[in-house]
Amino acid sequence: MPVIIDQEKCEGISECPGEGLCIKLCEKGALEEKDNQIVFISEKCDDCDICIQNCPSQAIVKE
Amino acid sequence: MVVVKREGKQNRSLEHKNQKCLGCGICTDICPTSALRLGPILPIARGLLKSDYISINQEKCCLCGLCASSCPFDALEFCINDENTRHMKQYPQWNHNASIDEKECIYCGKCAIACPRDAIHLQRKLPARSDLVFGETEVDLDKCVYCGMCEEMCPADAITIEKNEVSSDKPYVGSSTKIDESKCIYCGICKRICPEDAIKIVCTTCMNRDNIKPVAVDGDIILDEDQCINCGWCQEICPVDAAHVTKPFEGNITFEENFECKGDSCHACEDVCPCNAISMVDNHSFINPQFCVLCGACERACPQKGIVIERIDMRLANVRSTSWDKRLNSLKQSK
Repeated sequence: MPVIIDQEKCEGISECPGEGLCIKLCEKGALEEKDNQIVFISEKCDDCDICIQNCPSQAIVKE
Repeated sequence: MVVVKREGKQNRSLEHKNQKCLGCGICTDICPTSALRLGPILPIARGLLKSDYISINQEKCCLCGLCASSCPFDALEFCINDENTRHMKQYPQWNHNASIDEKECIYCGKCAIACPRDAIHLQRKLPARSDLVFGETEVDLDKCVYCGMCEEMCPADAITIEKNEVSSDKPYVGSSTKIDESKCIYCGICKRICPEDAIKIVCTTCMNRDNIKPVAVDGDIILDEDQCINCGWCQEICPVDAAHVTKPFEGNITFEENFECKGDSCHACEDVCPCNAISMVDNHSFINPQFCVLCGACERACPQKGIVIERIDMRLANVRSTSWDKRLNSLKQSK
């Protein structure tokens, strides 16, 4: 199931209380930074849900 | 460190000691006013966030002290008129402990290596080699050509050759070959490798074997109770049963039936486990219950909710109030 970043809740890495925590936690490299935004790379995701569980803004959900 | 204080008929204070906290969240389950909140344990355990494991809402905290009594790891200190309730006879007492019997300990050091909290400190005094082996050595410097083969091959590093830069006033490479008898084990390798037959080694250990006193290794082994979390590593790894551990909880740790562990992609359980009881084997979480204290940190950290902690018994005695007993015993219910 693809991961969705709620752009309203995620205000970009510069505003993130965890300074892009989801990127740092993802062992598969499925989350990347692009222009201060989080980009999700579906092919790399292993559905571990660590990003969903740990996002301080609760901005990551699954479809 | 968070401190809540209030003064009245009694002066009460609650202090969270983060350096002792495992991030298990037992206190947050127990708190009747939801004043305690568990922080993001995985990012903290991975060193990605600098934060205490627990935060206390000062407005909500009623300073009842239940949380401090529930914590098996002494991470919450609740004081009434400056007296820690852990030492008060009216309050519950944990009966878990760990000890290392100095009389049994052979100072092998395995426990100190295995302890996940670095709570065991070992210092040992080994006997001198010269107490264990006997012999005689002699180097004939007239024959020695300072080739260095003996020095290179000596397994005990007992041979030193003084070498110098060759110059017109010093037309030789070495000036002395010495065997340090406090290091020499009289094995005879130097004698056999020497191309000039310059070394004599006589081992008299076997000849003297009846006179060799049994050697006792002396030492000190200290278990730092402040750091110890009673995980059981020392007890399991000790070859002579010198370590004894009584854990805070008895029970089981298992996986949910349909648990799809993400293994190496996730390993959240492994990272938050304070006991080093979890590792990844074949891309799946592997939990060794022998080292587990049933704290529940892994259960919380698993994003798949695949770990089940079932506490059957807890070593908390002297719970005098019925309501406290009910509340504290809620830790025992399997989830």
